[in-house]
Amino acid sequence: MESRKPPPSALVDNHVVPGDVVLDLTEMTNQTIKLGAGLRQDCDTIQTTSAGRLRLSKPNKYWVESSQKRYIPSVEDTVLGVVVDTKPDNFLVDIKGPNLAFLPVLAFEGGTRRNIPKFEIGTLIYARVVKANSIMNPELSCMDATGKAAEFGQLKDGYMFDTSTGLSRMLLSSPTCPVLEALGKKLSFEIAVGLNGRVWVNAPSPSNVIVVSNAIIKSESLSGIGQRSMVESLLERLS
Amino acid sequence: MDHHQRWHPTVNEREFIERALQSDLRVDGRRPFDFRRLKILFGREDGSAEVQLGDTRVMGYATAQLVQPYKDRPNEGTLAIFTEFSPMADPAFEPGRPGESAIELGRVVDRGLRESRAVDMESLCVVAGKHVWSVRVDLHILDNGGELNVPDAMVLSLRNLIDAANIAALAALSTFRRPECTVGGEDGQQVTVHDPEVRDPLPLTIHHLPIAVTFAYFGEGNIMVIDPTYKEEAVMGGRMTATINSNGDVCSIQKAGGEGVMSSVIMQCLRIASVKAADITSKIKNEVNSYTSAKALQKVKRLPASALKKDNAPDVAMKESSDGALETQSTKPSSDGQQINKEPPSVVEDNKQEDVEPMLSECNPEAQSETRLTAGGSDETQEAISPKSLKDAVKPKHKIKKKQHSKS
Repeated sequence: MESRKPPPSALVDNHVVPGDVVLDLTEMTNQTIKLGAGLRQDCDTIQTTSAGRLRLSKPNKYWVESSQKRYIPSVEDTVLGVVVDTKPDNFLVDIKGPNLAFLPVLAFEGGTRRNIPKFEIGTLIYARVVKANSIMNPELSCMDATGKAAEFGQLKDGYMFDTSTGLSRMLLSSPTCPVLEALGKKLSFEIAVGLNGRVWVNAPSPSNVIVVSNAIIKSESLSGIGQRSMVESLLERLS
Repeated sequence: MDHHQRWHPTVNEREFIERALQSDLRVDGRRPFDFRRLKILFGREDGSAEVQLGDTRVMGYATAQLVQPYKDRPNEGTLAIFTEFSPMADPAFEPGRPGESAIELGRVVDRGLRESRAVDMESLCVVAGKHVWSVRVDLHILDNGGELNVPDAMVLSLRNLIDAANIAALAALSTFRRPECTVGGEDGQQVTVHDPEVRDPLPLTIHHLPIAVTFAYFGEGNIMVIDPTYKEEAVMGGRMTATINSNGDVCSIQKAGGEGVMSSVIMQCLRIASVKAADITSKIKNEVNSYTSAKALQKVKRLPASALKKDNAPDVAMKESSDGALETQSTKPSSDGQQINKEPPSVVEDNKQEDVEPMLSECNPEAQSETRLTAGGSDETQEAISPKSLKDAVKPKHKIKKKQHSKS
C-alpha cells in the first residue's frame, strides 16, 4: 500500500461559491477526507454548496467558512442559547438555528432527577452542541466530554448581543484578535462567545459593558490596525 | 413547523438595559435623546427616497394619477399612504396580509401628513369635481433594524420604523414631481397631461414637514429615551409617537397602551420633539436641496456637450421630434421650438419652483447660480462656445414659447 499524502485542494483559503469543484476523488484513492459545513460529495467530486472561504485542517478536514446571521449547528461548537420553553425532559433552547435545540435536563455535571436546574424563560446558557443533523433538533450539553461542567451553564448578569457567525469566529481566533487585545489592556471584562453569533459581555460598570460591546460590533468590517485605533478613540471618549 | 421563530429577549438583556438606563446609558452608546444616524438617499426617479435610520431602512415612493375627487371635497386632491412589509426585511412579516403593526405604521404616518394639511391639496385640483391628482406614497420596509428575529405578534414591536417611515414619506413627497397639465378644449374641460420631456413636472406644495418622534418610557415613566431600538422596545413599559413640525406645532400624538405617563412628562417630550423635529427638518431640506441642484446640474451639463458637437445636432432634433410625436394630446409646437425648450430645463424648473414651492425657495437662487457657475467653469475647454451666451440667446425665445403654450 502506498501512503501518498493527499494533495491539498488548490482552493484552500480562497473564496469559493456554490458549485465549485474542490476535490476530484478519482485522483485520490485509498484516502479518507472529512467534509464539514458547505461541502458535499457529487459522484467523484467534492463540490461546495455555500459561498465562503475554503478551509483545510491538516491532514484531511475540509469545510467552508462564511459569515452569516443564521447559524447551522455542528457538533462540538460552543454556543450561547436562550431558553424558550421547559419540558419535563428537555429545555428548549434557541440557538439561532433552523430548529430549537434540546438541552436534556440531566446534561449537567452530576445531573440527576433530584437536582434539575430551574431556568426561567429567557435564561442565557453557554452550552456545547453534541448532536447535530439536519433532520432532528440539535442537542446541547452543559458538560464537556469528560462530564465536567467546565465553564458551561447559565450566564448571569452582563449583556448579550447578536453578531454574525464570522465575527464570533474572529473573536475566538488565536492569537487573540486585535479588538479584544486592545480592550483588555485598558478594561477588565468577562466575555463568552458562541459560534452561533452571540456574544455575552460582563463588566463591573455598565458603561464598560457598553463600550466593549459596541467596540466588538464595530470591529466586524475593520482591519487589525483599524480595530486598535477604533478602540483607542472609544476609550478616549469614555475617560 | 408549528414553532414560529420569534425573538426572545434574555433576562440578562432586560436587566442590563434597565440598569444602564438608570445611569442614562443606552446599549448602543447613544444618549437618551439621540437619534440614530440618519441617512437619506434618493433614487434615479423623482419621488423615490430611501431612508436609513441606523440599521432600519425604509423606501418611500410617491406616484400620482388623475382621478375623480370625492363628492364632499370636489376641489381637493387626495393623498394616501400604503405600507409594504416585505418578508425579506424580517422573516416575521407575513406576505400579503398586513399585520396590526403595519396598519398602525401606515395610519400614524398618514395622520401626521394629512390631518396637519402638510401637503396642499387644493393645488392638486385640475377640474373641480372632475379631475384631481391622487398622490400615493408607498412605504417599503427594506430592513427592520438589521435583525433576523424580531417579535411579530407583539404590539410593542416596529415602533422604530415609524420615525424612519415618516422621514421616507416626507423625502419622497419633497422630491416628487407631478406632470404639468392644462385645461383646454371646446368645453374647457379637456385635460392635457404634458410629457415631462416637454414641460417640466411640478413639485408639490408642502407647507411644513411633520416629523414623527417616538419616545419609549421605562420604569414607571420616569426614564424616557427617543428612537428606541428593537431591544429597548422589547423592554419598555410604554411609548408615544409625537408628530411635530419645526415650528413646534403638534400634528398628531399616538399613545396606544402601555404605561401611563404624567402630563408634565408629555409636555417635556413635546419640547424635546420640537427640537428634534427642527434638526430633522433641516436635514431633510438639505438633502432634498442638494438632490434637486444635482439633478439640475445633470441637465445643464448636456448643454455645452450638445452645443459642441455641431454635427450631432440633426440627430438630436430627430429624437426630440419623435418625443413630440409621443405626446399627442398637447398643442403642437414646432420641433425646433421643443429643442430650445428642452435645452435649458434647469433654468425653467428653478423659476417655477420659486413660484410654486415656498419650502425650497430659500436655496434655489443659490442652486441656480451654482449650476450656472459649474456649467460655465467645469467645462473649460468648452468655454470657447460660450454656453452662457447661448443660454441667454435661448431663454427669451423659450419664454415666448411658454406664453404661447399657456394661451393656447
